[in-house]
Amino acid sequence: MASTRALARLATRRTAVVRPAVSSFSRGLASVTDTHAREPVSKVAEKIVPDRAAEVVPESKTSTVREPTPGKDAKIKTFHIYRWNPDEPSAKPRMQTYTLDLNKTGPMMLDALIRIKNEVDPTLTFRRSCREGICGSCAMNIDGVNTLACLCRIPTDTSKESRIYPLPHMYVVKDLVPDMTLFYKQYRSIKPYLQRETPAPDGREYRQSKADRKKLDGLYECILCACCSTSCPSYWWNQEEYLGPAVLLQSYRWIADSRDEKKAERQDALNNSMSLYRCHTIMNCSRTCPKGLNPGLAIAEIKKSMAFA
Amino acid sequence: MASLLRPSLLRQGPAVAAPSSRFLSTVTRQTALRPGALAASWQKPTTTTQRVAAFHATQRQQILPPLPQKIQGTANDPVPVPAPEYVHGSYHWTFERLVATGLIPLTIAPFAAGSLNPLTDSILCALLVIHSHTGFESCIIDYFPKNRVPKTRAAAMWALRIATVTLGVALYSFETNDVGITEAVSRLWHA
Repeated sequence: MASTRALARLATRRTAVVRPAVSSFSRGLASVTDTHAREPVSKVAEKIVPDRAAEVVPESKTSTVREPTPGKDAKIKTFHIYRWNPDEPSAKPRMQTYTLDLNKTGPMMLDALIRIKNEVDPTLTFRRSCREGICGSCAMNIDGVNTLACLCRIPTDTSKESRIYPLPHMYVVKDLVPDMTLFYKQYRSIKPYLQRETPAPDGREYRQSKADRKKLDGLYECILCACCSTSCPSYWWNQEEYLGPAVLLQSYRWIADSRDEKKAERQDALNNSMSLYRCHTIMNCSRTCPKGLNPGLAIAEIKKSMAFA
Repeated sequence: MASLLRPSLLRQGPAVAAPSSRFLSTVTRQTALRPGALAASWQKPTTTTQRVAAFHATQRQQILPPLPQKIQGTANDPVPVPAPEYVHGSYHWTFERLVATGLIPLTIAPFAAGSLNPLTDSILCALLVIHSHTGFESCIIDYFPKNRVPKTRAAAMWALRIATVTLGVALYSFETNDVGITEAVSRLWHA
């Protein structure tokens, strides 16, 4: 269902003639405010028979750290944040609750996290760098959506509580910091650099036509935040062998580059049952991308280019 | 999902007991390590709750729990790139798509044209068998990783092959000895 919806969205976006009215049946890009659209059925089963091994201590059983200096008409918003400390390996991960006055906090989730770290709890750990969606450090799962904390507005509805987790199905280093080693090793395996033997005809830089340059739009903007890869069920199951949408999008960025001369080798590296073809066009990647890119389309283009070659 | 549909779950019977009191269902591994433990725990008087809990079949089992993280080589080495296998890669994908797209006209044509041709019927059957085989094969590859559960993977693959052959033989005999699937569907439709 999700893939048909995503495909329908992509189709309507391409033609851009009629935008479907937002109803309870249609679902667009993954958004933090649209919470009722994603209530997994599995949660019901988990409620009936809890899985003790993977259980997180819920926020109802941990303390609440309150806003240090609430203002006069304070807009108190509650944040439940996943905490796990490697220094206490036997302790279960827990959900720690923080309340913040939104009047004293910046508009974005990252502002809230930085304020918690500065003023409330300096032990909270997360990655951040540019605070403007360029570095991809602050990728995390906010209210059920993988996104960049710096590009995600805090929903101003204070009656709704926000939940922040690290990227799903990744090994956690501490709190909101996932281990990205495998992801970067996979990125390295696709040789993300220009491979070329012949020199440019006039001895100057390698140039390309405007049309060829246009093919790279929508690909070069990827910042490798891993939001898409960690939202992909295929990547959850077969992380060791399947490369995942982010790395495949990067691979296509070099396959599509007119200046690169190793197109065939790049395609051969993907031509086995696991590396590329575990993509089943689930399209979670395109739904969740915080930069609005379309890894699903890039993977489809790779498959198409290899189909009758 | 299966556990959700099991009605016994909804009864909210005795909650799943703590792991220690569930010794009957977890008896194998623990007592195999410590032979004396079994006799000791048998002599302890067990309460009714424990007995019920012991035969409670609804506890969640993680099918493939995540293993501890293992990084091959250093963080600066690339992940090994597998050798190209066109048969399992691009050829397979292309073939799969051709079969899937071919099924659409073959499904519609006999009803749209109103004529039942044994030739198109047999092609439809053959494509259906191939289509279901590749689809299930894809599921097996997804859910039974080869390096993690090699025997389960092989068993599932052989089960699938046997099922596919059985289906093929069944459809063949249905086509040759009976009316054929297109006719069967249209008869069911008008029944």
